[in-house]
Amino acid sequence: MNLLQRILLPIAMAGSLFSSQLPAAPTLQVATVNYPLHYFAQTIAGPHADILLPMPADIDPAYWSPTAENVGQLQQMDLILLNGAYYAKWLPKVSLPIFKLVNTSSDFRNAYIPLEEDVTHNHGSGGEHSHKGTAFTTWLDFSQAALQAKSVYKALAKKRPKYKADFVKKFIPLQDALQQLDSSLKQTGEALQGAPLIGSHPVYQYLKRAYQLNLKSVHWEPGTFPDDQQWQAFATLLQTHPAKWMLWENHPNEKTVAKLQSLGVQSIVFNPAGNRPESGDFLTIMQDNAQRLKSITSSSPE
Amino acid sequence: MNDIFYLAWRYISFNRFKTLTLVTCIALILFLPLALKMLLMKSEQQLMSRAVSTPLLLGARGNSLDLVMNSLYFADERPDSIKMQSVEDIYHSGMALPIPLYARFKSGDHPIVGTSLDYFDFRQLELSSGRLFAMLGECVIGAEVAERLGLSTGDKILSSPENLFDLAGVYPLKMTITGILKKSYSVDDKSVFVDLKTAWVIQGLGHGHQDVNTITDNETLLNRNKNSVTTSAKIKQYTEIDGNNLDSFHFHGNPSIYPLTAIIAVPTENKSATILRGRYLSSEQTEQLVRPQDVISDLLNTIFKMKSFIDAVVFIVALAMLLAICLVFSLSYRLRKNEINTIFHLGCSQGTVIQLIAAEISIILLFSAGLCALGLLALQHVQSGIVLRLFVS
Repeated sequence: MNLLQRILLPIAMAGSLFSSQLPAAPTLQVATVNYPLHYFAQTIAGPHADILLPMPADIDPAYWSPTAENVGQLQQMDLILLNGAYYAKWLPKVSLPIFKLVNTSSDFRNAYIPLEEDVTHNHGSGGEHSHKGTAFTTWLDFSQAALQAKSVYKALAKKRPKYKADFVKKFIPLQDALQQLDSSLKQTGEALQGAPLIGSHPVYQYLKRAYQLNLKSVHWEPGTFPDDQQWQAFATLLQTHPAKWMLWENHPNEKTVAKLQSLGVQSIVFNPAGNRPESGDFLTIMQDNAQRLKSITSSSPE
Repeated sequence: MNDIFYLAWRYISFNRFKTLTLVTCIALILFLPLALKMLLMKSEQQLMSRAVSTPLLLGARGNSLDLVMNSLYFADERPDSIKMQSVEDIYHSGMALPIPLYARFKSGDHPIVGTSLDYFDFRQLELSSGRLFAMLGECVIGAEVAERLGLSTGDKILSSPENLFDLAGVYPLKMTITGILKKSYSVDDKSVFVDLKTAWVIQGLGHGHQDVNTITDNETLLNRNKNSVTTSAKIKQYTEIDGNNLDSFHFHGNPSIYPLTAIIAVPTENKSATILRGRYLSSEQTEQLVRPQDVISDLLNTIFKMKSFIDAVVFIVALAMLLAICLVFSLSYRLRKNEINTIFHLGCSQGTVIQLIAAEISIILLFSAGLCALGLLALQHVQSGIVLRLFVS
């Protein structure tokens, strides 16, 4: 616990004692666009807010398509926490009240990573243009995740200043945990010493940059066995990038794991946890991810 | 007394043409200044109420009257555009809440106003049916638009092209009506409201078209390489946004430089309003922050100066008319000299004759006042439209 936190905690506790004597404000209605923000908001707000993650659990929230009813529900919220970095692809297609939107990554918007896949096209109106975007799993750089959590805290405190002390009390341990993850992964990154890694999906850009991983990505799905063309491209990649480990968003199917092993590549799961997990929570999932990545440094694949 | 009025009535109904002329003249003398006063009061009330309820308005530096008239009454005169970035600037200043406006396009005679959902709360507009717009391509219409065009929720309304001769321009957008507003007796009743993003789609800044990666037709696909695809104008562009093509709609360029016609700034407190106004005073600024109340007051002062002049003209004309009426009455009584002598011979006193003449004048004045009141009632019924046409269109 640093000096600032030692000063803030007693103030927060005193504040919470005071705030408990005030009349209760209506519960804050907060919507989030992905599970990390949902977790941050739920952890910080505690009982003072109802946190909504409006999409089903089995889809990638970045590519969710809301219905008019979903949008109507979001319009009724007090606060809508956005990830930024062009995460929610549905956002430009819906109407939401501007004042309720909070981009939690605006503090580091200049650090967004532009996507490499960028095909321009021209069809007469508007000149040449491209549908480019940025990498959006910003929270996989845990220093950025801490900034996003801070942004969530600030937004909640602005909406309910009365509970600011309660929010600080919950935010500080969360920030500590995220900073610990950041330190731990920095050590892992250093220990890996530039060992080549492969990502099964282009979602690890911020992880790669923050922890100096020598990682290249393919575009495979965990539940689908890659076709011959994909295996050929993979073999070509291995010639220039001789990786021994491949990071998966989720458990890959056994056939894929076996074939990868035959090529000398081991599989580990590094789950970005974009949507709500079946078990555990954001922190436990990320701690497990960090632990698995760390295990690479102490084990050598056959 | 009834006999006197009976005789007077018989006389004026016998001289119908003369009576009608007199009644019309007197009614006009009464009507003109009262009608003018009524119209000016109504215009002051209408213009000021909306101006007073709009604390600050940010727009491009230039004619502040055009800015206010376009932003408050969606008038045809369009101020230069400002950038969407200004909304964020105001919001992040913490001094005011910004409500963006993009009042550039029309659907027939009705302005299409691109704005955020916050506008409805700000103007206290309520729905009589349906819901507010939620998806791209949806709109909410004012009560008068619905009445005039016979539209209801679920119907479609088309944006009008800005220039009929621009054949290569942007296609009109067919929008789905999701809600109809309750009557607010303001220009909002005559407007079509859309999300800002829908307004930008109407302008062509955002669009939806068939997937360029799946085109195989050689007439449409002109060139394809690893980094670029070039198609001809034959590519299918969508003119209506629905569930099937919504995902294909996208915007190009940096949204922070997308255009707006104005921003309504609602200050958090009086002090913030003053500080915020100070920020836009520099002549190097490309934007101006005006108090609509001040601009409308200036406009009304000019109108009231004109009113004094019109009042003087009306007074002179009324005086001339009154003199003419007096002449008509005096000539009429000179012509009726024999008739009045007969009344004396029949035994009536001079007082009775005076009562008879007073009764005739009273009846004529009563009819004139009635005619004037009818005119004023008719004017009151149509005055909202007249005021908007006089000062807004």
